[in-house]
Amino acid sequence: MKRPIPGDGDGDLLKMKKVKVDGDADADAEENCVLRGMRYFDDNVLFEVLKHADARTLAMASCVNKQWHKTAQDERLWELICTKQWANTGCGEEQLRSVVLALGGFRRLHSLYLRPLSKPYSSSSSSSSSSSSPTSSSVWGPISQAPVAPRPKPLPPRLGKDAVHLSLSLLSIRFYEKMSNFNNRSR
Amino acid sequence: MDELLAVVGYKVRSSDMAEVAQKLEQLEEAMGNARDGISQLSNDTVHFNPADISNWLETMINNLDRAFEDSSSSDYDLKAIAGKAIYTTAARVKPSPAESSSSTRPLVLVDSQENGIRLVHTLMACAEAVHQNNLSLAEALVKQIGFLAVSQVGAMRKVATYFAEALARRIYGLYPENPIHHSFSDMLQIHFYETCPYLKFAHFTANQAILEAFQGKNRVHVIDFSMNQGMQWPALMQALALRPGGPPAFRLTGIGPPAADNSDHLQEVGWKLAQLAETIHVEFEYRGFVANSLADLDASMLELRPSETEAVAVNSVFELHKLLARPGAVEKVLSVVRQIRPEIVTVVEQEANHNGPGFLDRFTESLHYYSTMFDSLEGSVNSQDKVMSEVYLGKQICNVVACEGVDRVERHETLGQWRTRFGSAGFTPVHLGSNAFKQASMLLALFAGGDGYRVEENNGCLMLGWHTRPLIATSAWQLATKSVVAH
Repeated sequence: MKRPIPGDGDGDLLKMKKVKVDGDADADAEENCVLRGMRYFDDNVLFEVLKHADARTLAMASCVNKQWHKTAQDERLWELICTKQWANTGCGEEQLRSVVLALGGFRRLHSLYLRPLSKPYSSSSSSSSSSSSPTSSSVWGPISQAPVAPRPKPLPPRLGKDAVHLSLSLLSIRFYEKMSNFNNRSR
Repeated sequence: MDELLAVVGYKVRSSDMAEVAQKLEQLEEAMGNARDGISQLSNDTVHFNPADISNWLETMINNLDRAFEDSSSSDYDLKAIAGKAIYTTAARVKPSPAESSSSTRPLVLVDSQENGIRLVHTLMACAEAVHQNNLSLAEALVKQIGFLAVSQVGAMRKVATYFAEALARRIYGLYPENPIHHSFSDMLQIHFYETCPYLKFAHFTANQAILEAFQGKNRVHVIDFSMNQGMQWPALMQALALRPGGPPAFRLTGIGPPAADNSDHLQEVGWKLAQLAETIHVEFEYRGFVANSLADLDASMLELRPSETEAVAVNSVFELHKLLARPGAVEKVLSVVRQIRPEIVTVVEQEANHNGPGFLDRFTESLHYYSTMFDSLEGSVNSQDKVMSEVYLGKQICNVVACEGVDRVERHETLGQWRTRFGSAGFTPVHLGSNAFKQASMLLALFAGGDGYRVEENNGCLMLGWHTRPLIATSAWQLATKSVVAH
């Protein structure tokens, strides 16, 4: 279940691993190298693949195992998901990134505020496709236990500027509330 | 026997009340529809024991019945009357607490609801007694309220309890200590902030107006009359940080009353905001000002810088009405604000007139207002927050009802009244934009239990209310002599 999809390359690596294990006892160090190498390779591939996932898939992916959890929580992936979804905020990428990361990150921004705000509209799915949708349903076939019936994945609607600003404001308030002493209401 | 009616000389069993009300309705309809006049009611009808309303009504109705139909049946059935049906099915509707005393027809209610109506009537009767200085009657009625309140559930019960307590304080002269410890009321306000969207709405709409006024300025200064925990400012700072072209230098002057424990809580808040500012790379400067009343302020204390270098905004959330307790105070503050020459003044106030000259009017207004408020709290999830919010509102109720003179600080006035005041003080309104409206609506959609909240636009101002009743209003102002700067 945890094998990433581009099969052949990894299949070979796995066989290599098995060979190594069966080999010498002090091939430990070497084995680690290979394993590390394989994991490194896996992470990058995983990252590249997850770049094309939508929010729900990405969130599900983080529940698979530790490695996937680590990769799927990467802020860059969530930044992609957030910015794909919204209209131009007017400020530069760098500027946005530094502020959002400082206030809690894109993943939180999305799960706490952007997603609830897009929910009311999720019933109306637009037909304009981005490259992610059709490929992702086939890529994640084994992951999503859903029946094979090809239901068109509802695309996250583009959020207007107001929804984005509201979400960012709420994120900053949350950050402020969580700062030291705030929850110490016994004052 | 029903006690209230007994006081005025009628004998009705409490359990018969619903029936009596229904018969009164029928009689009223019958009298209204009587074609041949109702003189026979006074001439021919014979009553026995008129104190017993139930029987009296029966007799009246039977007599009218006889006037229409020759065939009178001893146990009358008004449905049998030809022509216009006199017997109408009275709608059995549960009135919401906020509307019960203003419904145009008294409705027949299922038993458990009749106490709700009686509760409101008793509250009003007690207030009237207080108004007329009939303290012994008021005392009797206040005890009644206690009994009736516990028969209710939910918002009505709590509102009635708070109002009863406030009335009792007024009757017995047990005025609440003033000023309330600020740290306690701060804490209550935090819970209120979390439970319901009123404060968030206030902050969001005011911030939107301030942001627009600050467009294109490189150095900005906000003077906050309602500093409290500084909850309004993180969102503004974040919005400034994400301004295209980078954030301006942000200066904040926070004004608040002295803390009860002498701690410098304004400074603490300033530190936290400074930390936040640093995290998001906004140049930040802070000054905290302790003042017992806003009227103690002078423009010179505020270290204002020349307006070419610094744009100023003045912000007040639920603070201005307190100035109305002292004559001349609000005029003084508004003239100080004029001296500050701000780009914009944002004001959020409760949308109600709790400052009328007569006690009874104030009582009625505030009963409606706080009933609606408490109603809106009922949907909230966190029970601790909810209870604290109710205490927060309860203190306001106590102040409106039990206090007088300079102690009565919760002198809320309506948007219309504030408009007049600002107009005559030399300010013109600034219209809030549609994006403020949209953000406010979305904020409410996010709020759990938020189905009843409504955002309304009123001549450029935004109001947040529960169902049909607006409860708070945000408005923005600029100096009348200011030339309009293209935004």
